[in-house]
Formats: sequence, C-alpha cells, structure tokens
Amino acid sequence: MSETTVRVAEGPALVLAGYEGEPLRSLDAYRAVGGYAQLEKARAEDPQAVIQQVIESNLRGRGGAFFPTGRKASFIPTPDKIAKPIYITVNADESEPGTFKDREIMLKVPHRLVEGCLIAAHAIQSRHVYIYIRGEYLEEYESLQGAVDEAREAGILGGVEIVIHRGAGAYICGEETALLESLEGKRGQPRSKPPFPAISGVYASPTLINNVESITTVPAVLAVGPEEYATIGAPPDSTGTRLFCLSGNVARPGVYEAPHGITARHLIYDIGGGVPGAHTLKAVMMGGSSFPVMTPDDLETPLDADSLGKKGYFIGSGVVTVIDERTCMVQFALRVAQFYMHESCGKCTPCRVGTRWLVQLMRAVEDGTATEHDLELTLDVCDRIIGKCLCVLGDSAAMPVASCVTKFRDEFREHLAHGGCPFGEDSQLAGLFAPTDQHAHTPMAAEALA
Amino acid sequence: MSTPELVRVTIDEREVHVPKGTGLVETALAAGVEIPVFCYEPRLGPPVGACRMCLVEVEGMPKLQAGCTLTAQDGMVVKTARTSTQAAEGQDATLEFILVNHPLDCPVCDKGGECPLQDLTFRYGPGKTRMSFEKLTFEKPIPISPTIALDRERCILCYRCTRFSETVSEDGQLIAANRGAMSVITTFEDLPYTGAFTGNVTELCPVGALLPTQYRFEARPWEIVDVPTVCGLCPVGCNVYATVREGKVKRILSRNHPEIDEGWICDKGRFAFTHLRADDRLAQPLRRVHRRGLEQISWEDALDEAERLLRNARGRIVTALSGSETVEQAYALGKLMRVGLDSHQAMLPEEVSGALDAYRLPLSAIREAEVVVVLGEVPVVERAPVVDLWIRAARRNGARILDEADEEAIGGAARVVLLWSGPGGRGGETVAQVAEKLGLADRDGCGAFYLPETPNGRGAADAWAACCDEESAESASIGLLVVSGDEAAANENVRALAEQAEAVIVLSMFHGLAAGWADLILPGTSYLERDGTFVNLEGRLQRLRRTATPPCPDELEWLAELAARFGVDLAPYAAGVFAEVSQRVYGGLAFGEVGERAPLRGYPEASEHIARTPLPRAAQKPRRGEIRLVAYKPLFSGAAVERVAELQFQRPQPELELSAEDARRKRITPGDMVTVGANGSAITLPARVNRRLRPGIARVGLEHASGLGGIVEIAKAAEVLA
Amino acid sequence: MTAFHDEVQELRKLYPEGTRSAVLPALRLAQERHGWLSREAIEEVAGALELTPAYCYSVASFYDMFRLEPVGRHTIEVCTNVCCGLVNAQAVLEAFERELGVRPGETTSDGEVTLRAVECLGGCSTPTLVAVDRRYRQSVTPDDVPAILAELRA
Ligand SMILES: Cc1cc2nc3c(=O)[nH]c(=O)nc-3n(C[C@H](O)[C@H](O)[C@H](O)COP(=O)(O)O)c2cc1C
Ligand code: SF4
Ligand code: FES
Repeated sequence: MSETTVRVAEGPALVLAGYEGEPLRSLDAYRAVGGYAQLEKARAEDPQAVIQQVIESNLRGRGGAFFPTGRKASFIPTPDKIAKPIYITVNADESEPGTFKDREIMLKVPHRLVEGCLIAAHAIQSRHVYIYIRGEYLEEYESLQGAVDEAREAGILGGVEIVIHRGAGAYICGEETALLESLEGKRGQPRSKPPFPAISGVYASPTLINNVESITTVPAVLAVGPEEYATIGAPPDSTGTRLFCLSGNVARPGVYEAPHGITARHLIYDIGGGVPGAHTLKAVMMGGSSFPVMTPDDLETPLDADSLGKKGYFIGSGVVTVIDERTCMVQFALRVAQFYMHESCGKCTPCRVGTRWLVQLMRAVEDGTATEHDLELTLDVCDRIIGKCLCVLGDSAAMPVASCVTKFRDEFREHLAHGGCPFGEDSQLAGLFAPTDQHAHTPMAAEALA
Repeated sequence: MSTPELVRVTIDEREVHVPKGTGLVETALAAGVEIPVFCYEPRLGPPVGACRMCLVEVEGMPKLQAGCTLTAQDGMVVKTARTSTQAAEGQDATLEFILVNHPLDCPVCDKGGECPLQDLTFRYGPGKTRMSFEKLTFEKPIPISPTIALDRERCILCYRCTRFSETVSEDGQLIAANRGAMSVITTFEDLPYTGAFTGNVTELCPVGALLPTQYRFEARPWEIVDVPTVCGLCPVGCNVYATVREGKVKRILSRNHPEIDEGWICDKGRFAFTHLRADDRLAQPLRRVHRRGLEQISWEDALDEAERLLRNARGRIVTALSGSETVEQAYALGKLMRVGLDSHQAMLPEEVSGALDAYRLPLSAIREAEVVVVLGEVPVVERAPVVDLWIRAARRNGARILDEADEEAIGGAARVVLLWSGPGGRGGETVAQVAEKLGLADRDGCGAFYLPETPNGRGAADAWAACCDEESAESASIGLLVVSGDEAAANENVRALAEQAEAVIVLSMFHGLAAGWADLILPGTSYLERDGTFVNLEGRLQRLRRTATPPCPDELEWLAELAARFGVDLAPYAAGVFAEVSQRVYGGLAFGEVGERAPLRGYPEASEHIARTPLPRAAQKPRRGEIRLVAYKPLFSGAAVERVAELQFQRPQPELELSAEDARRKRITPGDMVTVGANGSAITLPARVNRRLRPGIARVGLEHASGLGGIVEIAKAAEVLA
Repeated sequence: MTAFHDEVQELRKLYPEGTRSAVLPALRLAQERHGWLSREAIEEVAGALELTPAYCYSVASFYDMFRLEPVGRHTIEVCTNVCCGLVNAQAVLEAFERELGVRPGETTSDGEVTLRAVECLGGCSTPTLVAVDRRYRQSVTPDDVPAILAELRA
C-alpha cells in the first residue's frame, strides 16, 4: 500500500525545503535544515516590518481564494486599537476533492507550519493560535500535535498558545466563517459578511484566517527574502511555488512543489508521466472539483492565476486531476453535484435546494430520461445559484456542472438520444456510490435521499 | 445620548435620509419601497442572510447583496427588483427555489390567506414550476407539543423559530438537525417543546409550517376579525389581538407594544382562551335551596335574591375582589356597596401600594439597564412572563443581573433597574425603599418594578377607593360576603371568611369553584368578553375590548340595575363608568383617549386613594441552617389553565427546588424523594437542585405545597422513615 | 461527578470561558467511549457542558463523523469521490460489500463491522483510500480487501 509521492519537482525548494524523503517530524531534524531560524529573525524585527515583507513578496492564499496574505494580515487591528484578544486560525480542513497537500505538510514538515504560525503571531501580535484540522486526519493530527508539544517543551512558543481543534466531518467548515462557527462549537454554517473576520472573527474578536500552505510558506518567504520570492513563479501576481496536487489517470500522481506558471501539460506529462496505458486525456479537474473542468485544448495554459483566469479557470488549491477518455462526463457531473448536495450546510435557499435539483437533473440525463430542455434548465438553475448564495459553495456546485454541460454538450445529448449512458458499464465512474446516510436521521420517504 | 448622524440613501431612484446604520429593509420602507424578506426579523438578533429573498443591487458591489444584512451608509445607491433586472432575476430565483419543495396545499393550510410566502408568490412568483422530480417528503404534520404542529414539507428553513428558541427565550429546545437538503426543524428525541413562550414560533413562521393546534381548520382569513385588546391573565398586560369568528375567540395573537411586550406573549396568554368554552362555564344564575343543593334560576329572580341578601346585610357586607375586575367593574361594585349599602370593607388577594409611582419606567427600559437586580424568591417568569424576556435581553446587552441590591456590586452603574418578584414585596413598598436607598428617583434609565399576583389589583384598588369618600368602622359580624371573580373564589382566606359569613354571593365563570359554599352564584365574564380598562405592573392604564359574546349578561348591566334599586346611579356601560372614575383617578382622561397602544402616564391622584389594607408581617429570614419554603403560584395554574387540555403538559412537575448548598448539606441528589415538614404536617416530593437558588430557600409550586410554607424541616424521605 | 464530566472540564480549559467550543471535542470523547452518540451519551455531554441536549444533538447531526445510530466494533470507510472513483473505488467498495454482505451504511449482523462510503478523504494520489477504524490505508485494491478484514477480525 504505497506512500504518497511528495517532492520538489522543479524550481527552488521552499515549502518542502530540507525534505529529502525522510519526514522532518522531530525538532532536531527540522533544526538541522535551518528550522526556526526565520522565527528568531522575525521576532527580532518590528511586527509591521514582518507584515511588510509578506506584502512585498506578494504571497497569495493557497486555500483557494488567492487573496494577498500580507494585506489580509494588515487588516488586523493592532492591540493598542482594540481591547480584545487577537486570534489566528489556521485552516487545515482540507476537504476539497483532489486536494491532499496540507496533509503532506503536516506529515512531512509539521514544524515549518508551527514556525509559520509563530511568525504570523508575532506579526499581528497574537497569543492565540487555533489550527482547525479536519476530523478524518488522524495521523496528521498526531504528527502536528507532536511538533507543537515539542516546540512548547523547547520553549519556542514564547507565550503563544497553539491549540489544535479537530473538525468532525464537514467540507463546509473549510469556508472561513463556517470554520469560525464550528470552532465556536456550533453547526458549521457560514456567517454573512460583513463583519469580516479581521474585525470580528472567532469569539467576536479580530481573527486572521490562513490556509496551512500559506502559513507554511511564510518562513520560506523570509528565508529567501521578499524581493527574491516575488521574482519566483509568474510575477507579479502568482509569485513563488506551490504544492500541486496531481491525481487521477496519470502515471506518477503526487504532491509536487513547483513554481507558478509551469504549464498543465508540463505538470501532467513531464512531471507526472502522462496518462497511463494507451489512454488519452479527456478533461482536467483544474483547481479542485469546485471549478470549471479544463479541456485538452487548454493544456498549454500556464498554471498561474492570470493565465488560468483569462481562460475561465481557477488555480484553486492547486488541484490537477486527470480524467481520461474512459470517463462519462455526465457521471462526473452527477458525482460532483452529489458531493455538493451532501456538503451544503443548508443555511441558504439557492444552495440547499439547487444542489439537490442539480443531482436530480444529472441523474435524469444519465438515465436518459431527460430532454434537451433539461440541459437548458440545468444551465439556468446553475445561473440561478451562482452569485446568489451566502457563501461560495453554491457557486462551487454550479460552475463544474455548467462547464460539463457546455463543454461536453454532445456527450450529454448522446445520453438523451441513446436513452441512457452510451458508455454502459465501461465508464470508470459507472455506478459510483455517493454517501447519503449521514444526514437522514429523520423519518422521510426514501426518494428524499435524491 | 447624541442624536445619530443622518445619511442619504437612494433606493430605486428615491432619496431618503435616515440615521446612519438603519437597516436597509427599514430604509427602503422609509422610501416607500418594500424589500421582500423571509428570514429577516430584527427582534431575533443580527440578520443571518439565509433565505436570500431580499437580494438587491448595490452600486459598487459586484454581486447581488442580501439587503437584510446591509445598513444605511451615506451616498449608498440601491436598486431593488422594481428597478433592477438583475435583482428581479435574483428574487425570482430565490422564490423558485423556495417553491421547489413547498407543497401546493394552500387551500387546506391554516396559513392560507395570511401567508407571506403565498403573497410573494402571488406578486412575483413563477406561473408554473419547472421542477419535475420528487419533492422532499416528510411525515406531516407532527406535533412538537400539544399546542404546536410542525409540517416539515411547508418549512422553508428561514431559521426564525430556532433563532427564537436560541436567542430570545433562550430555552435551546427547538433546533435544526442534519445538514443541507436534509435539514429539518425538530426537538431532541421528539420531546414536546416546553416553556413559557413556545407559541411565539407559530407567529414567527412565515409559512404554514408551525401552526397552533387549537386553530387547525378553525377559520379562514375572510371569515375572521382580529380585535385589538389586552391580555388579562397576568400583570404585564401584553397587547394582543383576539381572532374572532362568529362571536367566538379562535386564536390569540401578539400585538407588538414596543414598550411592554415587543410582540412576544406567553403560552398562557396565547393558548388559555379556550377556558371561555369550558364545560362548567356558567350561563345561568344558581341559588342554594336547602338540602337540594343548587338550582338554576332566571336573572330576574337572581337579582331579586341578590337585592334581598344585600338589604339584610346593609352595613355588614364584605367584598372580596380578585384583582382581575376591570377598573369599571371594581368601581361599580364599590359604588353599590359603599354608597348604596354603607359597606366599605373590601379585600384583595394581595397588598397594593402606590409607593412605586416615583420610580415608573416602561418595561423596555430593563433591556437598556446596566444592572438589573431581581429580588424576591419567585421566578420572574412565573409571575410576569414577558418581564423574563426583557431581563434576558438585558443580559445579552451586557447587563449584570444580581439577586441582591449590593451597593458594592451596583457600583457606579448609570442605569439600574430593580424588580421584586415574590412574597414580602408589600405591593412595591419594599422595593421602593431599596430604590430610595440607592437614590434611583428621577435618575434617567433607573426605576423599579413590583410583580403583583393579580392582573389589575392596582386598578381595582384605586377604583374601589375612589368611588366613595366616607369610611366606616369594621362591623363585628359579616352579614354577607360578596366574592367577585374566580381568583377570590379560589383563595383560602376568602373561603375562611365564607365560613363566618351569614350568606355568600359569588360572581364566577365556573360551576366548580363556589358550588360547595355559595348561596347565590352569578355567572361572570372573562377579560376577553369585557369592555373596560386595566392597570398593569408599570402603572399603565390600558384598554380591554369585548372580543366575544359572553353566555351571560355583562356585569356592568346588572350592577347598574341592582344599584338603581338602592338609589345609586351607575352607567350600565364601561365608557360611562370610566368617565366617573377618570374624574377622580385618571385626571379626567376620556375613555376614547386611553389608546390602542397606551402610553405610560403618571396618575398623581391615584395613590392617595389606595386602600391601606393591614400589612402582613414580612416573611422571616431563615437563620443559618434553616430553610424557608416558598410556595409560589406557577404561570401554568389557576382556574383558566386548569380548563385547557392542551396546556396540561406545561404544568410544573410536583418537585421541590433546593439550592445546591442545602442539597449538599443534606446529602440530597437530584431525583431523591425528600420530605418537607412543618408543625405536624408533611409532604414528600422528588428533589431538583437549582444552582441559581439562594441557600436557605426551597421552592415548590402552590398546588403541590398542600398549605406548607415558612421555615420547614427537609430530609431524605428514606431517612425520615428510618 | 463522573470521570467523563471531569475530562470535559479539562477540554473546556482549552478555550475562553463562557464559549461553547468544547462541544465538538466533548462529543468526540463521548463517541469514543460508547462507539456512537446515544440519547444518554448526548445528555451526558449536555450535562457536562451546561447546554441543552437539543443543542448538542443539533451540532452532532451536522457532522459526518458523529454516529447517531449504533455502529459495529470496527468501521470501514471507503472514499468514493471522483479521484478515487477514477481509479476504481467502486470495485473496492463492492469487494467490501461482498465480503461483509452489507450495503454501505450497514453493519454486519454480528455487530462487528460497519461499512461506509465517504466523501474525499484527501488521499487522492493513492487511490483507493480506505479508512480502517479511522486509520488511512492508501492504494487499496479489491484484492487487498480480504486481508484487511482478516486483520480486523483477528
Ligand atoms: C466551500 C469552501 C470550502 C473551503 N475549504 C477550504 C479548505 O479546506 N482549506 C482552506 O485552506 N481553505 C478553504 N476554503 C477557503 C477559505 O474560505 C479561505 O479563503 C482560506 O482558508 C483563506 O486562507 P488563504 O488566504 O491562506 O488561502 C474554502 C472555501 C469554501 C467556500
Ligand atoms: S451556499 Fe450552501 S454552504 Fe454556503 S451558506 Fe448557503 S447553503 Fe450553506
Ligand atoms: S431576508 Fe435577507 S436573506 Fe432572508
């Protein structure tokens, strides 16, 4: 039962610096590769100066929204301006299908995440860090808790308390305000913004929320220096490296650190060894399951926010999932829709109702009971979800489904003409089961479980 | 407070100026524009932006915004569905999604015709549905309590009801379970939703998902009228509507008086009205005939009989008031007895005092207080339910809630409010003294309240006092005891007096109460069947309306007739009587001016007229180690509640509340059977430990106290037997 | 007071006073003890946190990892999201169904094993990911299934 491949594919080793195949779990191992040196350096500096360096590096969020990390930190009021404690919450909920990088950070270089937390704490003058880790991550939790305890015993925390808060299975808790609600012991339902977390986050206090990779990159930024970092990757906007999550029908799946701007083709074929067997690439789940799928003609697109944006794609959490020609895209759209229906928190109407409707529509197409009109209806339902919801999950369900309907229209039509799935049992996703049991604790007719 | 800065907002090309921070929904209304909402309800705390019905276009913002979550900022330019196609599309989208799972059963839905969803669908909704798949289906309707039914298929998950339970009544019982499309409203393990305020969720629900069981299939909107009146079941005097069909009350709804109830009413006020139709409700007078018990007689005969009894006892008549009479009834009765029959002696179930008139505040001021001191040992919710909600609101606002007037703790607080809830309050004198000690008089936002046991004791006392200036010495014997109303009829002291009286006339709604000991029983009306006025615990004069036709004549009619026989001139209708009272008590205020939403006026003349009944000795303080038993009248008790089947589940369990310290001292754990004894008699009840109860105090519902009170012995039942 | 009560008080200390943050940890603790969250378990949690059972149930029912019905001594959780699906998760799930004779969401009649299909567990590059009593097994194929179960039952 093989391990995940985790390595620096090209460019400088930043997030994974010092990792040569042996996890740097112990403090000594991490110190041996220069661990915690950046923390010392940062603590010697004025907090504002640290934030300034992150701003100059133009490091952007790796959690999906790609928001400038330094600027977000600069929104946090300084202690002299507010009488409340200031919090940092690290988003380790990693539940976006296709994403498995934060997990490897916590397994391979946990101390670098701790170091990042402590630098951030110094920068915004916070003494309270909560790391919200998805509940399913057990080994990851143990590894990270070990690092935190070791750091505490070694007196590295310097008065900062780091608490690892374990989730309990809810994708939505990765959404920053849902995370805060969950951390407060409530149902993980997003809050309406404003107020923004920087002003009123957890416990109604100023709160900085960052993804694991973003925080872990901070020490690297200080190590190479902001000016240098800003030249790596695809400046000006997509600077530095990121951990690409390569999976699906590809020869060498894994987590690869590489600079922004390498092309999808380069990642999939040169680094990932291409599509195994005699198969051909049909589509790419680009950025995560929340975004439009990429078609082969766009493989030359450099993997940076701007280049992808121009073609209507998103870099998301660095997901690149290869889908080969044996896959029915209706089944893909159906399964994706089922995921979002299952994960919708149920707070706002368009998402709660729309995701279930999309599942019913996709199933009808797959079964061949739908009509051409249903394809139009699907696009319209997607349109009626996008931009109308309380958080972005609704959009995340609608965008991939809509992209499949538009980009693979003929395949969808075939289902209608053929009165069912033309692939029969041969599609890789044929009959793929979607969990529904979790939230049906209430007497209702079976068909309610879409 | 500084006057808030005004900002200019443009809504659908109309300019309005509102205070900065005003909700956008309210701002739009000020501009005459309606932004449709479902989940938005400011009384439930900050907006949640869940239903997405209120989507609007805001200049400078890329996406549509949930209007309910925005506040007015200067220069803001907003376009609603009326002027923005984008917003209109958003609104259509939300409405279509809401209707996807909503059943088409409006014709058989009690909400039909007064349903926000139905109205909005009618105004903006899609003609036909595009959803051709199975809707979500649930078991329906399911009772979440004997008074409320839940239809999960109609529910649109606006979370109003759960937010009420979480943040207003703070009972944490009505919740959302599961996630996403499977989300449902429910209680834990389907236990009944219990508490003083549960019924409010039936009014908060914007669809027909949460409905009162009493109203099921009772009426259609076009057959009913909602008559504005005031609840007469407790001294708060919440403003309500009585929904009336063919002269019968079908439902009680709140009628938001922002200073008194903010639109919340308790379940007693909402659901107890069916006692009007109780099986033992009296319509005909009854007379005791020797050995043959009671016989029905005509009203003519009844009045002749009453006249006879009154004449025989001239000068020796004692009147026992209930404190639930209207001001007018008390005045009419008083004038007959005092002017017509020279019998000035009256008693009320409790002491009344004007001592608090110097510390008057609207109840809503409690929410703004920095410190709220709650004195006395009876839970506020049991005496004046809605006051409990104001105290909770104060706590959420950051106020400190204390249980003793500790000057240290109160410290430099600017706004201090005192409340007395329990025995020893002496009609407000005690708390008035505390207020004086703290120097609260004429301090902005400071004041004091006494929570009486009777809904209109103050009004009745003032009226009785005002109707005649003569006084007379107490006569040695009681020739006739006139018992006015069911509270008096149920009162032990009154029963005791009846023993001594040569004859007894009882005015009562129900056969059960006086059948055993009255010589003449005259059927009475309910607060829902009377025109007149009440004075609530704020000292606020309010207007009651006759919402339903009683099975018997109005008291004022036959009192006037009877009075005439003794040469006393009385108007047979409330307006006339009030005119007379008003001259003496309410500064000549006209009946018509009392007001639909009455303001809090001061009545300087009133206090002078107060009947000074002898003060009962203050309850003795328990010495170290001693425990004093407080037997209180629970909210869900009394003649009305006892006659409403749906409310029986709300009545308190027989149990003894103990403070944590006393429980520890006596090695009593929750659920233990304990024996409570005093001078000979004893009762045995299961124990409940209440961390908030002060040591030295034990508490039990009156109906379970069997007469015990004062200092008692408490021990584990087992140990007593041993 | 019970040991559970005391442990919950310890958990509360990790968070500011007067907050409800210990609800998830406390529910997890209760589930680790009883295997699932029975009515009594939820009442115990509520008691220790001074919250209503209804509130704790409302929270518990929101999250996938809290079980509100009895479960087997062991749980097998198979990721059936697209990444694993592309590399035959369905076959792995079916192998477990065959070997155990239960459908996803069900427990074997001897009360030993509960089989579940779950959403992406974050092991997409080593499909199929299977969590055996919450421990991840990567790159599981249908052929591995008998061995995994043998191990469990051993
Ligand atoms: C439905 C949803 C799920 C999300 N899941 C995650 C997640 O698992 N991890 C994460 O870091 N960010 C996630 N995000 C993004 C967060 O909301 C937030 O933008 C991010 O954590 C900010 O950190 P960053 O600026 O460092 O990227 C999610 C967003 C949405 C709308
Ligand atoms: S968009 Fe979906 S997940 Fe987000 S708040 Fe609305 S219902 Fe919840
Ligand atoms: S009224 Fe604004 S979202 Fe519900």
